[in-house]
Amino acid sequence: MSISDVIKMALRNLWKRKLRTFLTILGVIIGTASIVVMVSIGIGMNESFQKQVEEWGSLQVINVYAAGSDRYYEEEEVQKDKKATEITTSTIEEFKKIPYVEAATPVMNEYICFVAGKYLTDASVQGIDPASMEAMGYKAEEGRVLQEGDSKTLVFGADVINNFYNPKLSWRMRYDSPSPEVDIFNDKVMITTDWNYGTRDADKALKPIKAEVVGTLRSGGSDGYFVFMPIKELEKIKIEQAEYEAKKYKDRNAQKIKKGVYENAMVKVDNMNHVKEVQETIKDMGFRASSLTDQLETMKETTKMLRMMLGAIGAISLIVAAIGITNTMVMAIYERTREIGVMKVIGASLSDIKKLFLTEAAFIGFAGGLAGILVSLGASKIVNIFAVRTNSNMLSSIPIWLCGASLVFATLIGIAAGYLPAKRAMKLSALSAIKTE
Amino acid sequence: MAEKVIQIKNVKKVYRMGKEKIAAINNISLDISYGEICCLLGKSGSGKSTLLNLIAGLEKPTKGSIIFNRCHMERMNEDQLAKFRQQYVGFVFQSYNLLSTLTALENVTLPLIFRKVPPAERNKRAKEMLDAVGLSERANHKPSEMSGGQQQRVSIARAFINSPQVVFADEPTGNLDTKTTYEMMDLITGLAQKNKQTLVIVTHDLEISEYADRIIHLSDGKIEKIEQNKTSETGKEERR
Repeated sequence: MSISDVIKMALRNLWKRKLRTFLTILGVIIGTASIVVMVSIGIGMNESFQKQVEEWGSLQVINVYAAGSDRYYEEEEVQKDKKATEITTSTIEEFKKIPYVEAATPVMNEYICFVAGKYLTDASVQGIDPASMEAMGYKAEEGRVLQEGDSKTLVFGADVINNFYNPKLSWRMRYDSPSPEVDIFNDKVMITTDWNYGTRDADKALKPIKAEVVGTLRSGGSDGYFVFMPIKELEKIKIEQAEYEAKKYKDRNAQKIKKGVYENAMVKVDNMNHVKEVQETIKDMGFRASSLTDQLETMKETTKMLRMMLGAIGAISLIVAAIGITNTMVMAIYERTREIGVMKVIGASLSDIKKLFLTEAAFIGFAGGLAGILVSLGASKIVNIFAVRTNSNMLSSIPIWLCGASLVFATLIGIAAGYLPAKRAMKLSALSAIKTE
Repeated sequence: MAEKVIQIKNVKKVYRMGKEKIAAINNISLDISYGEICCLLGKSGSGKSTLLNLIAGLEKPTKGSIIFNRCHMERMNEDQLAKFRQQYVGFVFQSYNLLSTLTALENVTLPLIFRKVPPAERNKRAKEMLDAVGLSERANHKPSEMSGGQQQRVSIARAFINSPQVVFADEPTGNLDTKTTYEMMDLITGLAQKNKQTLVIVTHDLEISEYADRIIHLSDGKIEKIEQNKTSETGKEERR
């Protein structure tokens, strides 16, 4: 029999028993829809985690800490037996040589004051290699991010700009008055380490440094409350401040700042999937390393159980549907025993009979899968409406591959479920089949 | 004597009924020639249907050999038998055995569908065949919409469409009234003679056996006697 004849005849046989075919297909629809919706909720959860984590920064960036530093609590006991390593310019070069690493920069953190016109604010400053800023995933909302060759250049987080105050006002008045409008690009901007700048207690010996603002970063997330500047400048300011303070307070024990030695670094990896590998390499070099990918993994891990359970519920209903297909096909064989016998007697080969029954079962699976996908697309919309309303992260997301995979899967389930009945039909003796009334 | 299409040699078929063994066919040898109309006549339980099933390859003999066109049928497997039936054999059953989901035309094309004949050609041939059995205007009716005689005509058309060498008819008129019986027998024998096809009819009806060139009387699984029917042609004429 040619394929088109097999399909035509299979469809006709199914059509003849419309109600039963429909009920069997309904079972597959429910099975497919439940598995697709359950899996889609799992996918949706992961996606919403990823979005959430991306708010905090780039997933491709690894934060490296010198092993001796106390910035992070004892996260890795493993590090104890390795010698405390410092991050230096040459370490950064080594990082850049690790496979998949696209960029690396030392990071220096400081908390200092900024002047814009007659207003003042204080903010966390991150000193980084200006050439690497774009690679680290920072995007300017206005203007540009730092570039190679920048020196006294600043990029302001949007939330820092909203925090300027008039230093001439008392604390009470600062609170009560609306935050002043600062035109960060055109006002005269300066960096100062004098916390009393602009007040009567200002230290005249500390000269503010003129700087240029080239861009702003979007509000919120990890960038909004930071000011970024080239690390060389920040280092210079820090050293000068330390020297000044040592002189001023005559403190011989004051911490000496070593030039070219940093506590942190950031390493950018070309692809999220390589983050773990690179992170391990860096740890092996004796540093501590963490990334948002770690946190994402942890979040995914905690919900893994839930997702597996969701999938299992879906799988169970598809198994029930498969049993339904088998049952329908076995029934069909009992009813059509005579017909099978006649077909055999007038020349149908065993493979024709098998093909016919498998095609019928496969079609039930295929039709059920197709309709099941449509149903789950609708169900996914409803789940999302409720998720948005209840503010939960149980979002449902159905990627194309899931549609394709479930359609193929449902068809294969159909074929598998039809295999036993088809085998049975093949084995029927033609003679006893035609004698059956 | 003409060349033999079927040779049955010392065939024995034993059924097991509980502990008892019953020989439905007991050591039969028989040759059937090309173009012959042969009738297996006997009472119920004489083994005539079993013999037909053996010759048609629906059952395997317990002993002996059945040679069809120099092929040993008892040595063929299911798939080879299916091929063999596709190519050489047509069947007419007592209870028509049409597929209820298919129209008359589609039922007739069925053997060609199994042989992978393209639709245009098989439909053309099926229409010619339905014409020959006088049912062209019922081509698109389902079996449930036809009378017994009409259904049997469809089944005859189906048996002959492949131009098989041998057509087997198992009590072809058992479910029909007398008038239709003669029509049907005229039709079958007419078609077989026209195309020089071999026809093997199984019946318990003496009158039907009159259509055959040779009547093989079976009783208790043995050939009782073989009767050459010299008057087969004249017998038919008389009834008309």
